[in-house]
Amino acid sequence: MSDVADPHDALCTWLRAQWQLDPGEHLHVELVGESTAGARRRNLVLEIAGGPRPGRYVATVLPTADIAIVGMADEATVRMVAREHGVPVPEVIGVCTDESVLGGQFFISEFIGGETIPRRLLRLVHEQGIGAKIVGQLGESFARLHAIDPAHAPAAISAPPDPVGGALDAVHTVIDNLLQPEPAFSYALRWLREHRPTEPEQRRIVHADVRTGNIIVDHSGLRSILDWETAKVGDPMEDLAWVCTRMWRFGEDHLTVGGLGTVDTLRDAYVAAGGAWDDHRYHWWRVLVTMRWGTGLAGQAAMHLDGRFSSVVMAASGRRVAEMAYDALMLIDAR
Amino acid sequence: MQYRPDAAELLDAVASLLEADVITSVPPHLQHQVRVAANLCRILERETQLAGTNDDAERVRLSLLLALIGNRDDTNGDDTNGDDTNGDDRDVRSLRADLVARLDDPAPLDAVVERSVREALLDTLRADLTIAKPGYAAPTGAP
Repeated sequence: MSDVADPHDALCTWLRAQWQLDPGEHLHVELVGESTAGARRRNLVLEIAGGPRPGRYVATVLPTADIAIVGMADEATVRMVAREHGVPVPEVIGVCTDESVLGGQFFISEFIGGETIPRRLLRLVHEQGIGAKIVGQLGESFARLHAIDPAHAPAAISAPPDPVGGALDAVHTVIDNLLQPEPAFSYALRWLREHRPTEPEQRRIVHADVRTGNIIVDHSGLRSILDWETAKVGDPMEDLAWVCTRMWRFGEDHLTVGGLGTVDTLRDAYVAAGGAWDDHRYHWWRVLVTMRWGTGLAGQAAMHLDGRFSSVVMAASGRRVAEMAYDALMLIDAR
Repeated sequence: MQYRPDAAELLDAVASLLEADVITSVPPHLQHQVRVAANLCRILERETQLAGTNDDAERVRLSLLLALIGNRDDTNGDDTNGDDTNGDDRDVRSLRADLVARLDDPAPLDAVVERSVREALLDTLRADLTIAKPGYAAPTGAP
């Protein structure tokens, strides 16, 4: 991405055009920091003075369209749809697909104060005793998201492969291309096939990456759900399984939901808000997403080794594969 | 033979440097990478001490497992995996590939084999985790 140390000129020009400001009308944009949330994209914290919407905002910038999962405009649409249906999501006030403005496509959303860094977030939550409250808010948010008519989803994410069959095919392909044979994944894949649920009766918009690390929390509870770049139309139980993956508990293993609270609390809140919980599907997706994340870590190690993304962090992912393989096998026998 | 410090001792020295001095001297955006690098040194320190024993145990475990699978498949009338050998001296990678091939085969596994495969794989993963993340496979580690 090009230098964005001073986004003032280019961003001011773009905002002036968006807001149709008169040439003499005051508008000032100042870069006041860079948010720690998000690993693949930059989140620039901006202070906007003047114009119709002065205040603090975040510009989420995709360094290169090559790494886009969902296009920025499509992600912005999903965010706005979710927000309109009561899911806590920062309001998006503008989308820019012109990469020359900030060195990559971006959208601007309102800045929400609070904690995102997992260990600090969990410390805050446990000091305040609000873990169960946040899990309840997550359950309610999932129910609201999953109640949205998927016809509101942008076309780019509205017709994916069958959620169950597609997920199985995808992990099978990845397993076939691992750098070394991993029988634990083959065993788990065999179990997944043998216990495969039917395709979901109702496909819904799912976030697919709600977890500790992708939420903003303060002393009052859940403030916002971030990073909608993995959103798709799929099986709602995938969302409920992923948030319970052990990696997102950061050592608080007795609190299955992100180190925050229990599955019972999540289930009760989800059902109370109108969600349809299915134990069999939940358990199946728990095994699948755990194993899939294990293969994802193996993929990160491969990207380091073949030079696509050389990084000590990506290299280290190879030494985390055993965690996911172990959890998947333990889950298989946990019911 | 190299003089002391040995590999583990050197990795300990590097990890200590990264953890104690380097991490506080680099800009914030590099601190996570330094922390990861220090952790990798700790992992490699344990790997130099435990990997040989772990790999030997996995090789024996896989050899026995493949022999069991071969016997059971023969008993069930399928002799495609019937190489009944307890003296299998192939390397771990080759043995793993054989087990993967059998697990990819949709032909049923009987209950004894199913249980044995899972237990053997968990034993191997527990051993791997003593290197990669000690304590992760402790009984309190709920999946």
